[in-house]
Amino acid sequence: MMVIWMARIVVPGELLAGSPQRIEFAYVENGRTYSSVLGLFDEANPRVIPLEGPYMPAQYDIIVGIVNEVKFAGYNIDINSPYRGFLSAKDSRYEHKLGDVISAKIVEVDEVKNVDLEGARSLKDGEIIEISPAKIPRVIGKKNSMLDMIRDATKSEIFVGKNGRIWILGGNSALAVRTILKVEKEAHTTGLTERISDFLKQEVSK
Amino acid sequence: MEKPKLIIDGKRLDGRSLDEMRPLKIQAGVLNKADGSAYVEWGANKVLAAVYGPRECIPRHDASPYRAVIHCRYLMAPFSTLDEHGRSGPNRRSIEVSKVIKEVFENVVMTEKFPKTAIDIFIEVLQADGGTRCAGITAAAVALADAGIPMKDLPCAVAVGKIENEVAVDSGKLEDNYGDGDMPIAIAPRNNELLLLQMDGMFTKDELRKALELAFSVFPKINALQVEALRAHYAVKKDEVDRGD
Repeated sequence: MMVIWMARIVVPGELLAGSPQRIEFAYVENGRTYSSVLGLFDEANPRVIPLEGPYMPAQYDIIVGIVNEVKFAGYNIDINSPYRGFLSAKDSRYEHKLGDVISAKIVEVDEVKNVDLEGARSLKDGEIIEISPAKIPRVIGKKNSMLDMIRDATKSEIFVGKNGRIWILGGNSALAVRTILKVEKEAHTTGLTERISDFLKQEVSK
Repeated sequence: MEKPKLIIDGKRLDGRSLDEMRPLKIQAGVLNKADGSAYVEWGANKVLAAVYGPRECIPRHDASPYRAVIHCRYLMAPFSTLDEHGRSGPNRRSIEVSKVIKEVFENVVMTEKFPKTAIDIFIEVLQADGGTRCAGITAAAVALADAGIPMKDLPCAVAVGKIENEVAVDSGKLEDNYGDGDMPIAIAPRNNELLLLQMDGMFTKDELRKALELAFSVFPKINALQVEALRAHYAVKKDEVDRGD
């Protein structure tokens, strides 16, 4: 099978442009733009897509978290990031126990990366898998296309957190897990949607 | 052991000329559980580097609200040399080497992007043959890039030695032990900024100039191999895709 690369692989310190440009994961020095991470550089539509990296919490992201600590004022939530989230008990409609898996929205991230969460819901039963947060956009696809395709084929309930955690319940969950891991592994190639579509058809008809 | 003759007919003990580097092999992403890793074989040196983070800083009081702190641990395995290295664990020499390596990376990693966290670099020397801190820096740079940590550049390093009054690049263990001087140099290859310059023994002004000249003549080769290792790591994944795994 032919696989065409989406873009060129760049390494930290590699020259991207001779002129200063505002690109995420790049920096400008002496009027030139350099990459700061190992990633893919899309020359036509200048942007750098990192191949690896931690999850950096951002406002309005929906994440899958695990309750790490229960305190009087609220909960400390592990959000698969260098930083931990905090869910205030005052804003929370439900009570959670240590180890509970929840989905929540990030309402605020301050300058020292204190992460405030809101709208937490328990994700009961099911399983969670962790993939590289840099690859989440590919699992979702354009206008949810990839995710809808996997949901249709496996009849599983799938909840994707921006932080790289994916919660899966029911249906052919084993196939869902395999498909998502395949998407993660091949995230940096083109023609992925068609390949996954073929893969799912093949697996479902087995 | 008596001092061996280090240069015979313009050739060094292992048959190299004065401006020739030992063979270097770099592999990225060798460890599954680390966020980033690299393995370097440089002559008889075998060095493994692993990077974890950015992650919560432990101990907490070390954390800075302004930037990530870098922790570095360079260690030689007890079996890494012929001589007895005693029990494993940090010693006076390895604590110093860890400190200078940490400072190399503090100058290139964009630590201000990750306040309150720590980035942990582990460098394990499995087999030593002179120039291990340089091999360690070269490996750790690849491991950091593999972990997806933003950096301004991919540092590389080499040691220049003074043997029998000649300056020679990439000194090996015997040249290090019986030579007259040793100078590990690390740079940021993008703008040739010096990140590390240590010196053991005596170098005249001209010898220092010559040493830098020799080091800068091999840096492009080292850097190319580092970049190649990172690209190859993702090319492997491409092959798996082609096979349809």
